[in-house]
Amino acid sequence: MLRGKLRRFATVLVGLAAILGACMPQAGPTPPSPGQITNPPTTPEMVDAIDLTGKNIEVVYWHNRPQRDQELLQSMLDEFNRTNPYGIRARAEIAGASYNDVYNKINAAIQAGQPPDIAVAYQNQAAFYRAQGAVIDLTPFIQSKKYGLSEADLKDYFPVFLESDANPQFKGERLGFPTQRSVEVMYYNADWLRQLGYTEPPRDWKTWEEVACRASDPASKKYGWAFRHDASNFATMVFTRGGRILSPDGSAYVFNSQAGADALAMIQRMFKNRCAVEIPTSERFGEQNRFGNGEVLFVFASSSGLPFYREAVEKGARFAWDIALPPYTEKPAINLYGASVSVFKTTPERELAAWLVIKFLGERPQTVKWAVSTGYLPVRQSAKDEVIAAFQRNPQWGPVARSYARIFDWLQYAMVESPVAGYDPVRTIIDQEVMSRVINDPNVDVKKLLDDAVAKANEILRENAPKSGR
Amino acid sequence: MSKPLELPISRPAEVRQLLPRPPGVRLAVYLILVAGALVSVLPFAYMVTSSLKSYGSVITNNLWPWWPFGNEPLQWQNYIEAIQHTGWDRQWGTWLMIRYFANSLIVSGIIVAGVLVTSVLAAYALAQLELPGREFIFLFILATLMVPGELVLVPKVVMMFNFGWYNTYLALTVPFTVSVFGIFLLRQHFLQVPRELFDAARIDGAGHLQYLLWVLLPLSRPALVVIAVLNFIWAWDAFQWPLLVTRDPSMRVLAVGLQQFMVGEGGVNSHLLMAFATMMVAPIIVLYFVAQRAFTEGFLSTGIKR
Repeated sequence: MLRGKLRRFATVLVGLAAILGACMPQAGPTPPSPGQITNPPTTPEMVDAIDLTGKNIEVVYWHNRPQRDQELLQSMLDEFNRTNPYGIRARAEIAGASYNDVYNKINAAIQAGQPPDIAVAYQNQAAFYRAQGAVIDLTPFIQSKKYGLSEADLKDYFPVFLESDANPQFKGERLGFPTQRSVEVMYYNADWLRQLGYTEPPRDWKTWEEVACRASDPASKKYGWAFRHDASNFATMVFTRGGRILSPDGSAYVFNSQAGADALAMIQRMFKNRCAVEIPTSERFGEQNRFGNGEVLFVFASSSGLPFYREAVEKGARFAWDIALPPYTEKPAINLYGASVSVFKTTPERELAAWLVIKFLGERPQTVKWAVSTGYLPVRQSAKDEVIAAFQRNPQWGPVARSYARIFDWLQYAMVESPVAGYDPVRTIIDQEVMSRVINDPNVDVKKLLDDAVAKANEILRENAPKSGR
Repeated sequence: MSKPLELPISRPAEVRQLLPRPPGVRLAVYLILVAGALVSVLPFAYMVTSSLKSYGSVITNNLWPWWPFGNEPLQWQNYIEAIQHTGWDRQWGTWLMIRYFANSLIVSGIIVAGVLVTSVLAAYALAQLELPGREFIFLFILATLMVPGELVLVPKVVMMFNFGWYNTYLALTVPFTVSVFGIFLLRQHFLQVPRELFDAARIDGAGHLQYLLWVLLPLSRPALVVIAVLNFIWAWDAFQWPLLVTRDPSMRVLAVGLQQFMVGEGGVNSHLLMAFATMMVAPIIVLYFVAQRAFTEGFLSTGIKR
């Protein structure tokens, strides 16, 4: 009897415990203790568990901008230094005048075990550093509840800018974060085009080629197209024909596709028919000067050159001009330019401090200031109107502010060349073994050229592929 | 010793008199020399003229926009703008250009002094002292010339980081205070000095250092000038190394400052770039004209023979 009562009582207790347990809030995974935080942190929870209080970390940021931009950058960092609650002190340093300078310096610093905390790097350069275990995946920092970006923030960034830093060679790791971008656009002489009977720039490659050839008159040194041959120009022509430089999973170069062959055949044909003029690498911005002098009808170049083109035309032949999307076959495409910033492997605390600096630089006021000063695109959609308004007020930019504003509509078509390690030597192959050959040899087999180049490029890709264990 | 010792040098004029001279050869030689001089001078002339043009004249390739072919005034303000473009040095309270200039002078001066000291001592040892394996040591030193600079660049930068010399004058100067070319040139020069001079100095009680300082070096002035001028130019023009081993603008040199004008995907202010380049090159030109006589003598008297 007693045993039966006890059993019933125990059953009720267990039932109550079960009900109470179900009503209690569910306990999440235990936050990692400081000893459980790996370097680099691999989960948002690990990042959340980092405590920066009283650490007073100094963050060094290597970039390649001139002194004027350095001063702006440092002034923004000074504000960060004053306002951040962790006592982080960030310092910007000019590490070179080109991306290559910075790249060389970083490689030496990695060997010496003294990399900076943050550095500007193209996606392929970041992949090269990652292959050495020197840069870290920013995903856990971005997703951190305590230190990361909110949903609203993430939506505010131009999606294509964020996507461009997810590296296929490293399973989508974010090896960088965007602070600036530009795109390759087509500059055209509108007056000249009108004289040829066109009211708007050609939208397809066939018409474009016809127009360029009609405009060309080698005897008077006038050409339809100034071709500054490099891999980026080639990439634009491949993208706009539906092709790619690298496969989406980053496993192979694929620019020997039909799109690549068609692009190359067009270049070959245009030089054979003297519809284009070559701008050698040594003639820096020669295409811009010739455009300004009214000697060429079309040029493909970075959107960040808009104020320079304006000045070149104003001081040169003074004509109506504008920018347009590059011609395309079926679907528009535009080549996305611009390096990101990467965080180097140091300590979890310093990595977090570096991320907080990057996060600050990406905030609306900072991205507006940077875009207005450098001519790059801001990284946030909410910054767009403010930047355009600032350009409209700026005497240097004013006349081209309208053109600049249109670029934002084209970002939906943006494509990235190749974010994998070892792309720099591949660029050289494309430039010297493909572009240069096809310009100078009207009979060379373009498909064979591309096949040979792709074979070499894939060899480089294999050599630079991530080794297991990194 | 009232009259300086004359070292035996070749006499090209006498040699020429012995050879038959076909008609027109002199004219052809002069034409070739003039053409060579023009080719050498043209880039310099382009730089100086561009530095005095407006941006518009530079990009439109207007060769002479001034009177009498044009009405553009000389754009002296390009020089001021170029200086201002470099930015402000808060530490010294002056334009960074001044800081770059001072750093270039300091770095080049230290390198030249270091190279002269090390080259003189090493060359003396290799030319005058009876060292075991002297020829082998000399060949070993020469062999280092065959190692491409790019190959050792990164290891050298790593060393600078590890020594704690990054962003200091030590990194900018110490690695360049030894010059294989300087050692080679001076050794060849010392070998031409008659051994009897050394013997005479020894009889007078002079040691090696006294002989070197009071006899050999005064005779070697032209060779020393060659080494000094060439090393000064190399140090003055150095870009990659100062860029790699410095951090602060206040530690940087003129060549690094010049590179800032080339930055950007969009375009470049060529007229300011040329103004800065002209200011950077001017001291080298002055130095060469001052040392020209000794420089030429140095090359003539430093016969590469044994």
